[in-house]
Amino acid sequence: MRRTDKYRFYVILAALVVLQFSVRGRLGGDRVAPDFLLLALLIYTIRARPGPSAGAGFLVGLLRDALTPASFGAGALAHTLVGYLSSWSKAVFFAENLFVNGCLFFAGTWCRNLAVALASGKLKGGMLGWELLVWSPIQSLTTAVAGVIVLWLFGRHLAIRLSDA
Amino acid sequence: MALGADRYASRGDTFAFLGCVLLSVAAMSLPERIRDPLARGLRQTVLAPFLALQQQTELLSASLERYDAVVAQRDSAALAATFLPELRGENTRLRALLGLGQRLSSGYVPAEVLREPEPTGALTFLVSAGKKQGVRPLAAVVSPDGLVGIVSSVDAKTSVVVTWAHPEFRASAMATDGSVYGIVGPHGSDGPHVWLLELQGVPYRQLVPTGTMILTSGLGGVLPRGIPIGTVVSVAGQAEGWERTYLIRPAVHPGAVTHVMILTGPPVRGDLRSLFESSGETP
Repeated sequence: MRRTDKYRFYVILAALVVLQFSVRGRLGGDRVAPDFLLLALLIYTIRARPGPSAGAGFLVGLLRDALTPASFGAGALAHTLVGYLSSWSKAVFFAENLFVNGCLFFAGTWCRNLAVALASGKLKGGMLGWELLVWSPIQSLTTAVAGVIVLWLFGRHLAIRLSDA
Repeated sequence: MALGADRYASRGDTFAFLGCVLLSVAAMSLPERIRDPLARGLRQTVLAPFLALQQQTELLSASLERYDAVVAQRDSAALAATFLPELRGENTRLRALLGLGQRLSSGYVPAEVLREPEPTGALTFLVSAGKKQGVRPLAAVVSPDGLVGIVSSVDAKTSVVVTWAHPEFRASAMATDGSVYGIVGPHGSDGPHVWLLELQGVPYRQLVPTGTMILTSGLGGVLPRGIPIGTVVSVAGQAEGWERTYLIRPAVHPGAVTHVMILTGPPVRGDLRSLFESSGETP
């Protein structure tokens, strides 16, 4: 990877973070709009080793916990798990194509919401069911679509190889 | 950077992962006196520029909406000016719609809700007003329709609001006529009654008719008296001829509010219900 590619990679991640705090509020409801911060983490984990991915997930989760103190620590745990598992499974199982990466974004978002809901212990019964079976899949889908668009537009700069399969 | 078999988790990766998990679990078990300053520190340092960006975006968004509204009002005014009596009538109606803010006079701070996409986002959220605007912990957070929650902790420019949907939220409440008192809390998270409140501790002999408005009672001195909480929809249960619990349809859904008012004035001795009754009127 060339040095300029490395800079572009981080610029794109930074742009996703900025999108999270700027335009995300204009993209529909809070529960359905794509989660750009998680998307940045998942894109990072595609290239990084599982250890740094877990560390990045922990930091992202801890910062989110500071914004939603109802379940402090739950976000850190959830993002750590998602970061590590995403990086590990990407290396072990997944092929390099756009659809598979979209599935990774979908599963990562849904698993993050599942882990937050379970670890926080604040959602139970019907509320948990609605969250996991209705709202989380919708948010996962929008996040996956946003992720696929980012990879399609900038995959070359992210140094992520995408096959036609 | 090529992907390949060398990227399987090494021992170092596993240790890093386990370390992060342990730190997360430790964060979850932190006591409130450590957790809150830590969260506040993160909000005031690392997250401060992002929160400022989010706040500016919300302001910009609100400004654009206001601009559209102003243009529409200007066009309406130009049209209405040709019909002076109708203009006077509309003026009267607009005066009636001036809203809760003016009736509360100086005892409130308006704030935008800064939402996060996590599942617990309706239980607590950040608002764009803090210590600099005069917000204090335990201040009541309201919308023109009624009670949203209370301020949990305050930073320089932002505050954390615990909504009525939070499992630990409780408020002393009463019926409109003051005949029945009880404690209001979230009904729970299961079944068809998700996002309802319940009025607990009502003596068995005191019946509360369906449709009765429930207000804050002011007992305890945290919330002012007379803020609408919701409307009784049915009896949720009763305990051995001892007390009844009533289901309440909330006046405000915390997931739907985008702007709130934080009551910051001196403790109100009177009753606020007239302010909210006026805001519910239609011209």
